[in-house]
Amino acid sequence: MKAFFLITFCVLVLLSVVAWQIQPAPPEGKIPLVWVSDDNPARREQISLFNDLHPNYDLRLDPRANQAGMEKVMLQCLAGVGPDLFDAYSPSELDAFVRSGVAWDVTEELAKRAIDMEKDVWPAILPTGIREGRVYGFPANVAVDAIWVNKDLFDAAGEPYPEGPWTWEEFIEVAQRLTLRDERGRIKQFGFLCDWWQWPQFIMLFGGQLYAENGTRSAVDSPEAIEAIQFMHDLMYVHHVMPTPVDEATMATAGGWGSGTITYFGAGKGAMALGGRWWLCTLRDYEGLNLGVVEIPRMSDTAYRAYGRATVVNRYSPRREQALDFLVYEAGKDYNDLINRQADAVAAVMRYNYTPEFLQNPEHPEEDYNEVWRDVIRYGEADVWSPFVNGQAANRILTKQLDLVKNDQKSAADALRDAAREIHKEMAKTLERDPSLRIKYYRLTGKERPE
Amino acid sequence: MSAIGKVAERKPQAGPSSWWYRRGRFTASHIALTIMAATMLVPFSWMVLASFKPLQEVEQFNPFPSVWRFDNYLRVFEQVPFARYYFNSIFVAAWVTFLQCLTSAMAAYAFARLRWRGRDIVFRLYLATLMIPGVVVMIPNYTVMVKLHLLDSYVGLVVPAAFGAFGTFLLRQFMLTIPPSLDEAAEIDGATPWQIFWDVIMPLCRAGLVTLAIFTFLGNYGSFFWPLILVKSEHLRTLPIGMLYFDSVYGRQTNLIMAASVMNIVPLIILFVAAQRHIVRGVQLGAIKG
Amino acid sequence: MKARRHEFRAALGFLLPNFVGFGVFTAGPVLFSLAISISNWHLHRTIPFRWIALGNFLELFVDKDFWLYSMNTVYLMLGMPVAIAGSLFLAILLSQRLRGIVVYRTLFYLPTFTSGVALMLLWKALYNPEFGALNAAINWCIDTFRVNEVVRALGGAGVSAPTWLLSTKNLVGLEAEEVRSSAAQWGMGARDALIIMGIWIAIGGNNMLLYLAGLSNIPPELTEAAQLDGAGKWAVFRNVTWPQLAPTTFFIVVMSFIGGLQGGFEQARVMTQGGPAGTTTTVAYYIYTKAFEELMVGYAAAISWLLFTAIFVITMVNWRLGSKELNY
Repeated sequence: MKAFFLITFCVLVLLSVVAWQIQPAPPEGKIPLVWVSDDNPARREQISLFNDLHPNYDLRLDPRANQAGMEKVMLQCLAGVGPDLFDAYSPSELDAFVRSGVAWDVTEELAKRAIDMEKDVWPAILPTGIREGRVYGFPANVAVDAIWVNKDLFDAAGEPYPEGPWTWEEFIEVAQRLTLRDERGRIKQFGFLCDWWQWPQFIMLFGGQLYAENGTRSAVDSPEAIEAIQFMHDLMYVHHVMPTPVDEATMATAGGWGSGTITYFGAGKGAMALGGRWWLCTLRDYEGLNLGVVEIPRMSDTAYRAYGRATVVNRYSPRREQALDFLVYEAGKDYNDLINRQADAVAAVMRYNYTPEFLQNPEHPEEDYNEVWRDVIRYGEADVWSPFVNGQAANRILTKQLDLVKNDQKSAADALRDAAREIHKEMAKTLERDPSLRIKYYRLTGKERPE
Repeated sequence: MSAIGKVAERKPQAGPSSWWYRRGRFTASHIALTIMAATMLVPFSWMVLASFKPLQEVEQFNPFPSVWRFDNYLRVFEQVPFARYYFNSIFVAAWVTFLQCLTSAMAAYAFARLRWRGRDIVFRLYLATLMIPGVVVMIPNYTVMVKLHLLDSYVGLVVPAAFGAFGTFLLRQFMLTIPPSLDEAAEIDGATPWQIFWDVIMPLCRAGLVTLAIFTFLGNYGSFFWPLILVKSEHLRTLPIGMLYFDSVYGRQTNLIMAASVMNIVPLIILFVAAQRHIVRGVQLGAIKG
Repeated sequence: MKARRHEFRAALGFLLPNFVGFGVFTAGPVLFSLAISISNWHLHRTIPFRWIALGNFLELFVDKDFWLYSMNTVYLMLGMPVAIAGSLFLAILLSQRLRGIVVYRTLFYLPTFTSGVALMLLWKALYNPEFGALNAAINWCIDTFRVNEVVRALGGAGVSAPTWLLSTKNLVGLEAEEVRSSAAQWGMGARDALIIMGIWIAIGGNNMLLYLAGLSNIPPELTEAAQLDGAGKWAVFRNVTWPQLAPTTFFIVVMSFIGGLQGGFEQARVMTQGGPAGTTTTVAYYIYTKAFEELMVGYAAAISWLLFTAIFVITMVNWRLGSKELNY
């Protein structure tokens, strides 16, 4: 036994020597930079382009998991060992980074480098990089969803491809004609596929918002929001054009992570689907798909939901000055053209979406619908969020209530009213904890807490 | 417990020495085991089959791929430095397992075989730390790693996982089943605790050690959260972190995830097959008697 | 028990290597978390750090979500006895000298290897409301035995197969939003699905291996002697095997309670995201959410310590029972 342990020990020591030996030497004379973002082929290409353009840098990716994304960065930064750059995925995430003190205010720095974000970048994505008038991050891309069309399924049904602008009534008719059943009456092809987590999109489409009055009140119990959620519910249970949770689970084996709908659509199980241009990153891998895009039916005064990432510099990084060069890169032509080519959503800098290469990608001539992707951004608006409640906590409350609506167990009105009440309770708790927010809240409303 | 009762009831009238009885019992065991084992094999075969499918077919019910995409496996290696992740995972898990077994066995020996004042109280306190959920100690632990300058290093991956109450508790329970007469006899022969530990107790704990080794290796090989926040460099990434690449919001290459998962568990199966033969009835005492 | 001087010193020597690492990486952080559980520590800098004594615990007692998730956690532990008994039964089968025993052992352990994405995807397929193997079998039974005709004749509304992972129903009718039960919630749902899956994974897994190791440590002489005395199989098991396995069983029961009360994290994270309507969210997942998503580290530590207290009490009860019943 003793001998066994000794031998194992020796083997391990030997392995350690090997591990030491195969450690790659840090590149000579290069400045190392670390960027936390999600790991995928598109991101790696963006990194190697940066390294090609800036031979004095060695930029590397540190992957962000779908879960535990933000906290990794925050923990690391607060301990003084954070990455040089990291992405904020929403305005409320940017707020969390700023409030925990890890985001560097780069307003002056960018101005010094002659970058005018407010002039160059699509307004819809600005809130992900700007908070209370100060610039913290440069938008890496922008996404506004539209409706994907599977042209082959339309052809098979003898239906003309939809064209915008159109109304929800027209949409439902088309979707119903494209919902096909088998001889036993089961739906085998859906007219419309949509992730349930798109509910904030619908609330905006129907003219509602998540929060009202500078975020001091939850607005999910507004008539518009209730109508929107009721509409999503009806698409499943009244019009039968969109898969119910049971249909969705029945349709295929995989799911989760919110990427299920892309794969169902790619597999031809739906004629239309609500999604972004970034779906192409996946859909290009599906052979023989014949795609089109049409805008979502919109009422005259309502907005589409815009989302995207913004890259933030770590305030505690010893190389934060150098890290700024990455933001400059994100503002430049090479990067933005690459984003458009990869279909990693749409470039955040407006002017690069008006080039012939954007409209007609030479590698993918069949993608003749890029104009739609650009045009919908004009009607995009970022999420309205509230500084007075933790976004994740509010999300947990809403997910719970909306799950019950999705399962047809509770009416939209009841669920949203309960959700709003619970969010207000959570807000009261947050205000109790945070004196600075208390002052702010009082200034805005003249009240101590939401009632 | 009723299931065991049934087995006893089913005992046939023929005596235990009868050939027919033995034969029948073996066949019954085989049939029962085969049926149960088949249900265990299903997910695994499904995973292997999915790893050969084109992406479109992973979602479909047909278990067999229409085209066998053997190159899925190559693509895993092309897209990420998979060999490096492989090495790291095995390397880290092996070190943890080694240290865990050694230090736990020593501590367990002190708790199970040595007599000293306050032993049981210390042990209970020690045990109590198992009851704290790991998420909470993550933040202080991370701070410790920062202070010790162990971030982004193999040492940082190995050391915090290498000591703990779990292994001690497990091995202590094993050592309790060893008859006290054995080490008393050795003590009378003038053996020191250190000698008794290595020559009497450890060989008798072989099954326990192997079990602990399997658990520890498995647990650390698949560990996700700690390496995620600790490691920044690509060359230190372990398999669970490396595999995030195939599962981003931009799309999930499920077929490649499956291929990577299949390769992921190969070392585990090898380890298990090699290690489990030490968990056999009667080996230990035979060794001591001889 | 007489503590002898040289044994104390030896004990110290044996404990030292483990205790050094343990002190730095476990005991220290644990004490630290105890300290922060009475603070309002929040990762947002705008919230000034304060000691708030039992503030977190008081808040916790009126936190409805916490109690709902505690119910979930306890409910999910219902499969534990079945899994442990199954493991023991399987271990006894697998401790025989059969041909090909390595293959069997490995096959039964496979689910433990195959954890993660692959396993979750497979179970999602098995729980598929229409095509899944489980519901295919249930529907077949309903059709073949004309269950619905019988139920309707008795004035019932007819039965259908559960929708498993999508349903908030459960066997004791717990409601999704309040800590109470109602008839409408009676049935099988996501939680039951997780329990069944848990049993399937656990039965041939770690506990089986522990029992196997425990069985291998029983001197064959003991069983042989009992058999020579003419004891039947059951008697041998009752009088020899079971008492000899007592320390192993004790370990398994204690660890299962600890694992169960701290558990549900992986399934929630990978398979259900805690849904539908929070019914598969467990206390461990809630702690994670509070600490790492809502950044309320102090509050999360308080939940952990409350959980700790529960586990500690249960373990001490186990300990008492263990020393009485198991002759330990």
